[in-house]
Amino acid sequence: MIEAIAFYCMAAVALTGAVMVVTLRNTVHSALALGLSLAGVAGLFACLGADFLFAGQLLIYVGGIAILIIFAVMLLGRASNLHLRQINQQWAAALLVCAITGAGLWRLVGIFRHTSSSAPATATTRSIGLLMLGDYALPFELISLVLLAALLGAVFFSRKDIS
Amino acid sequence: MTAPEKQVFPGPVLNHHSGKLLIGTRYWPTEIWRRPWSLPRYRAGALWLVGIILGIAAIGFGIGELAVWGEKILVWLGRCGLPAPAVAWVWVLIKLCCVIGVIVANGLWAVWWERKISAHIQSRMGPMYAGGFHGWAQTIFDTIKLLLKEDVTPAAADQAMHLLAPIVAIAPCIIAFAPVLFGNELAAAKLDMGVLYIFAFASISVIGVVMAGWASGNKYSLLGGLRAAAQIVSYELPRGFSIVPVLMFAGSLDLAVIDRAQAGYWMGCIPRWFVFYPVVGQIAFLFFLIASVAETNRTPFDIPEAESELVAGFHTEFSGMKWSMFFLMEYGYVLLSSFLLAVFFLGGGASPLPWLVGIPSWIWMLSKAMLMMFVFLWFRWTFPRLRVDQLMDFNWKFLLPWSFANIGLAGVLVYLHLRGWGLR
Repeated sequence: MIEAIAFYCMAAVALTGAVMVVTLRNTVHSALALGLSLAGVAGLFACLGADFLFAGQLLIYVGGIAILIIFAVMLLGRASNLHLRQINQQWAAALLVCAITGAGLWRLVGIFRHTSSSAPATATTRSIGLLMLGDYALPFELISLVLLAALLGAVFFSRKDIS
Repeated sequence: MTAPEKQVFPGPVLNHHSGKLLIGTRYWPTEIWRRPWSLPRYRAGALWLVGIILGIAAIGFGIGELAVWGEKILVWLGRCGLPAPAVAWVWVLIKLCCVIGVIVANGLWAVWWERKISAHIQSRMGPMYAGGFHGWAQTIFDTIKLLLKEDVTPAAADQAMHLLAPIVAIAPCIIAFAPVLFGNELAAAKLDMGVLYIFAFASISVIGVVMAGWASGNKYSLLGGLRAAAQIVSYELPRGFSIVPVLMFAGSLDLAVIDRAQAGYWMGCIPRWFVFYPVVGQIAFLFFLIASVAETNRTPFDIPEAESELVAGFHTEFSGMKWSMFFLMEYGYVLLSSFLLAVFFLGGGASPLPWLVGIPSWIWMLSKAMLMMFVFLWFRWTFPRLRVDQLMDFNWKFLLPWSFANIGLAGVLVYLHLRGWGLR
């Protein structure tokens, strides 16, 4: 019972934050709402018993990526306070894409709705670690290689030409 | 040739009858400190210190382990006739109140202690009047003053964000204390990924700081907030990576397991604390300490609130209780880092000498945390501030690569241990 209440509260936080990101007119407010939405997703993970994912989501998305986005938005200074409209002429097309994606996700949820376990949550850190460095060591290392390449690419393309 | 005659200082000039220092002597205070033991007050202070340490040890013997008392309270709650869920809720509330009490009391204590330490480092006395004994009540009166102060919001500020910023800053700090160990098995929540949990919540507070800087509508505040974001996001990396060796040695993210892994002694006298593991332990300890000081925005890493450059940085436009929330946050994080240093490196609740095991673990944990807190305060009043570029260079070009190297070294140590060549 309490788990269900907590789950729906967290879902409400995540969705409210997401709606605020696209509707608020001040860019800094939108960036902060993004942080709220990501924190709500972390709360969802916690409600579902995925403790490692919960902490990882908070650490990387809220404590890292959201802050970097806020940082970038604030660096634009007062120009970001222009209170721009967030919607342009393509809003109908965007709404259509959202509706189709939503319907697809709804169907997917329908397929998996009976697979959620009702067993009490257990600690997942050890088993995730064993899987990542055991059975899935190769994909894990490949992903880290891709991320490293992306990092180096970002540095390469954004550096100033000294010569 | 004769050696030049050595100048001998005759000692401080004292009044024959009272033994007090005569005012208006021709000696500088520094000359008096060449022979400090000739001062009666110095001897009295040393006696006080010994008395306080023995008193704390005696109180510890009397009370025993706090975790045991907690179990007794829980059993008593169960007998009160409440339904099981209500007992669980009341128990969580009690623990919550205890943790918030620790954070608030720490604010009162740490501000007074910091003022006394800074004063003595600068050859001053610090607060001496409030309450009578060495100004012990100074921060209590300061808190009353802060409560009564007018809460000013600048006209150029973003009103809602200005109100929310201190809340966003302080709330994660309180939440992050949930799995912190205050003694063996003495924590508000037993979490399997406690270390990750603490780091995750501690990383959120900076959003409050950035919000404060932006919402103040003041370019100095904005600069302070931006600097805080850049600094804290950067220093989180070496802070996290520096404790990876500890996690490798202990094999868990659970603070209680890390605490237990350091029990026992080598050769019957050297405690098996992670800080004593050759090379790896000392590097990890130093890096974690440095990165923790940077995370709490304290000198020498206080560029987000550098007075000489930014007035007071992100909290320039805050007054009264809103302002004090930022200070509660800062001292809360100092306390958190002190307890983490004690658990990760100084053996947690383990006694440093085998024949002192009768003293309960929470006394040891608190003493080690307070020792680390003293180091934090000592740092602040000793080192000059780094420049922004020096700060970033130090992090990205020194701390981060060497903390990676340290993880490699820890791997070698673990491998040797598994092969049976390591420390037993």
